[in-house]
Amino acid sequence: MAEPSVIDVANLRKAWADVEAVNGLTLQVPAGSIFGFLGRNGAGKTTTIKVLLGMVRPSGGTARVFELPADAPASSVEIRRRTGFVSEEKDLIDYMTVGEIVRFTAAFYPRWRRDLEEKYLRAFELPSDRKVKLLSRGMRTKLALLLALCRGAELLVLDEPTSGLDPAMTEEVLQALVAHAAGEGMTVFFSSHQIAEVDQIADRVAIIERGRTVVCGALDDLRERYRRVQLVFDGDAPAASFRAPGIVRVRRRGRVLTVLSSSGADAILDEARALAPVATDVVPVTLKEIFLETIAAEE
Amino acid sequence: MLWHKAWVETRWRALVGLGVLLCSAGGAVLLYPQLMKLVPNAPPADAGSIIARQIREAADLMRDYRGYVFAQWFRQPQLWTIMAAILGTGGLLTQGAALFTLSMPVSRERLIGVRALVGLVELLALAIIPTLLLPLLSPVVGESYPLGDALVHALCMFVAGTVFFSLAFLLSTAFADVWRPLLLTLAAAVALVSIELLLRRTGAHGVFGVMSGDSYFRTGRLPWLGLFASAAASAAMLWLAALSISRRDF
Repeated sequence: MAEPSVIDVANLRKAWADVEAVNGLTLQVPAGSIFGFLGRNGAGKTTTIKVLLGMVRPSGGTARVFELPADAPASSVEIRRRTGFVSEEKDLIDYMTVGEIVRFTAAFYPRWRRDLEEKYLRAFELPSDRKVKLLSRGMRTKLALLLALCRGAELLVLDEPTSGLDPAMTEEVLQALVAHAAGEGMTVFFSSHQIAEVDQIADRVAIIERGRTVVCGALDDLRERYRRVQLVFDGDAPAASFRAPGIVRVRRRGRVLTVLSSSGADAILDEARALAPVATDVVPVTLKEIFLETIAAEE
Repeated sequence: MLWHKAWVETRWRALVGLGVLLCSAGGAVLLYPQLMKLVPNAPPADAGSIIARQIREAADLMRDYRGYVFAQWFRQPQLWTIMAAILGTGGLLTQGAALFTLSMPVSRERLIGVRALVGLVELLALAIIPTLLLPLLSPVVGESYPLGDALVHALCMFVAGTVFFSLAFLLSTAFADVWRPLLLTLAAAVALVSIELLLRRTGAHGVFGVMSGDSYFRTGRLPWLGLFASAAASAAMLWLAALSISRRDF
C-alpha cells in the first residue's frame, strides 16, 4: 500500500508578470519523512512553499496539503493550523519581546506544547524579556524555529532554515530539527540550496530547476540508482548516444566518455561494449554530483 | 490576540491624535474670551477676497457661544481629516512581519477586519472624547454647551471621517509604506474641500459639510443623506480593501 502523502503537488504553475516562477512542478511528500527541497536561488522553492501555505495563489495545477486544497481560503486556514512555518527572512514581530511573541503565537494553537516551549527556551538560551528586533540572526532563527516546533503541528515547512547562520549554529539548528522530528514523528519539508545539510538530515529529496522537478525520490534510492560510467578509449572518445533509460548527461573529454545515469549502469555497459572501450569504470555519485549534473543537464 | 496586536500597532497614533485633538478642543474653548474681542474687527460683509469673506462669515457665526464652538471646532476639519487618514494607514504590508502573520491559522478577511474595526473604534474615540471636552470646559469661560449637541456633532465627525480613514486603509493595501496612502488621502481631501467651496453657493453639501454637522447647526436636522452616503462609501472602500488583501500574493 502506498504511503499517504502529506503534500501532494501536481503540475503546479505560478507566473509573476512575465516570469514563470513555478512551471509544472510535481512532488509528493510522504508522512513522517524529512524532505529536502533542493534548488538554486530563484528555482521556485519559496514560491512553492508560499503556495502550500496559501500565501500565493497558483496560476495552474494543484497543491494539496493533508489532502486539502492549498488555494481554497477555508482549507488554507486548516492547513496552517496543522503546520509550523519558518520563512527564509525569519520575519517575526520585531516590537514584541521573546515572551510576548511566544504568548501571541501560542494563542492561535490549541495544541501548543508548553513543555516544548520551556525546553527550547532553555536549550536555545532565548531571553524572554529581550525585544525580537535586538536578537542576533542566529537567535532569531532559533526563536522562529521554537515558534514553529511548539505549535503541535503535524508538518513543519522551513524555507532555507539555516540561511545566514555560521557552521556551528547551522549544526545546532539541524540537530534540534532532526531530534524534534524523530521524537514527535512529524513530517518536515525544508527548502535549501545547501546540499550538505540536505544530505545530512533528509531521507527524501526533490531537486527543482526553473520551477520544475528534475529529480524526486528517497535519498538512499537515488544513491543506489545514480551511477557514473566512465569509458576510456584508445583515441578520442566517440560521439556516442545511448538508448538506455535514465541517461542524465553524456560528456566527452579527450579519450574519456562519461555517462551519468539515474537507472544504474548495466544497460549502459551493455551498449558501451559496441564502442569497444579499453577500460570501464562505474562509480556511485554523491547528492552534490546528482544536483550539479542534473542542473547542468537542464541548462 | 489579533485585537491586542492591532491596538499595540496603532495605539501611539491614536493616543497622539487624541492628545492633539484634546489640546485643539480645549484651546478653542479657553480662547473664547480673547477671540470674541476680535470679532468687531472682522472685515465687512461685502469684502472682496475669499479669506475676508470667510472671516466675516465666521464672525457672524460667533454671535453666540454655540456658533462660536461650531465655527472654531466643528467647522475646522483639517486636523480631524489628517487624524482619520493617519489612523487608516499601516497594516499587513507595512508592519514587516507579513509572512509570520499570514502563517497563522487565521483568514485574511479576519486579519483585515480586526485591523479595520480597531481603527474605527479609535476613530470613534477621537471623535467623541475631545468633543465631550467642549461641554465640560465651557463653564470655565462662563458659558455652557449642550451635551446632546456635542454628541450629534461627534457622530457627524466620525461618520464623515470614516471616508478618509477607509480611503487611507484601502490605499494601504496597495502601497508598502505609510506615506503614499497618507499623502494620496490628504490630496483627495484637498480636492474634495475645493469642490465643496466651489459648490457652496449652490447650497450643496459634501463630506466636509456632513463632517461639521452644518445642517444640524443651522436647522437642527441631521444630514441623513450625507451620513448614509459617507457610511456607504466607507463600507465600499473597506470591502475593496478586504478583497485586495484576500487576492494578493505575498
